[in-house]
Amino acid sequence: MDQLHTDRPSQASDTTDDRSGEMYHRIGAITRQLHDALQELGFAEKLKGTVDELPDAQSRLTYIARLTGEAAEKVLNSVDEAKARQSQIVQISRLLESLFPAKPALAEQLQVIRQCGEMTDQHLTDIMMAQDFHDLTGQVISRVVKLAATIEDQLLQLLVDVAPPAVINKPTVVAASASTEYTGPRLEGPVVDTEGRDDVATSQQDVDDLLASLGF
Amino acid sequence: MSKDLRFLIVDDFSTMRRIVRGLLKEIGYVDADEAEDGVAALHKLRNGRFDFVVSDINMPNMNGFQLLKEIKSDDKLKHLPVLMVTAEARKEDIVLAAQSGAAGYIVKPFTKATLEDKLTHVIQKLGL
Repeated sequence: MDQLHTDRPSQASDTTDDRSGEMYHRIGAITRQLHDALQELGFAEKLKGTVDELPDAQSRLTYIARLTGEAAEKVLNSVDEAKARQSQIVQISRLLESLFPAKPALAEQLQVIRQCGEMTDQHLTDIMMAQDFHDLTGQVISRVVKLAATIEDQLLQLLVDVAPPAVINKPTVVAASASTEYTGPRLEGPVVDTEGRDDVATSQQDVDDLLASLGF
Repeated sequence: MSKDLRFLIVDDFSTMRRIVRGLLKEIGYVDADEAEDGVAALHKLRNGRFDFVVSDINMPNMNGFQLLKEIKSDDKLKHLPVLMVTAEARKEDIVLAAQSGAAGYIVKPFTKATLEDKLTHVIQKLGL
């Protein structure tokens, strides 16, 4: 009996080893077939073309991010300047209103000027707030650029794998940069499509409701 | 409610820092400084006087969660309220921020009214 007990795990292990060996053999065969197919169909050349185009796509996206950033900064500079002037107009109209209380027609006109100034200031605030598109689109572009870099690395590796031994001139494959220190949740950036997702808050009200439900 | 509070605005996008600063000014808080990531923010917090932190989450070098953790584990800084203003809208991020000690959570894009409402709530609650 003892002999049987000691033999059983060994037999199981042998069977597992056999299956693993068979699996690796089959994966090896598939890899060789894939390699041959890529060579015969000329996919390696096409892959190389794609890899060559990726840095260009990344630099174009980075260019968009830079230009939109510069545009947003220019708008914010103008808003700052306009707000300062607008504030002056409102203050002066208030002062004039107080100086001519006995002239109702003039006071009425000054009041209109002041109200227009206050409304314009509100519009300027709206214009300032709208510049947050740079932050939101910038984060999305940054993610796409990183994704393109990862795809480029993987395609390069695939090219190296399928290249005939004689022509292998291994390019330097740069591993996708990733922080090794941060162990918290993976940050996703702006959610571009909330449809069908119940794991994200779709509005500030959603955030407030969630926190309230947890007692915060 | 004091309007003399000193704010630190932490965001890697200068546009967003300017927007938050502009809004704070309109609400009545004119004393503010800026930092582009958690590392720069911690340096400023440890070398200056601040009453309130408004921080993004997704930033290079040290993100908002890491900054929050550093602040809440530092005896000299842990009293500081930290309001997260971020595009990260996943519920697990929101819950994590609250559990880590964030005073509030605002999702971008947001309005002036939302910022004012959250600031007022925290400031009144803490008696600042």
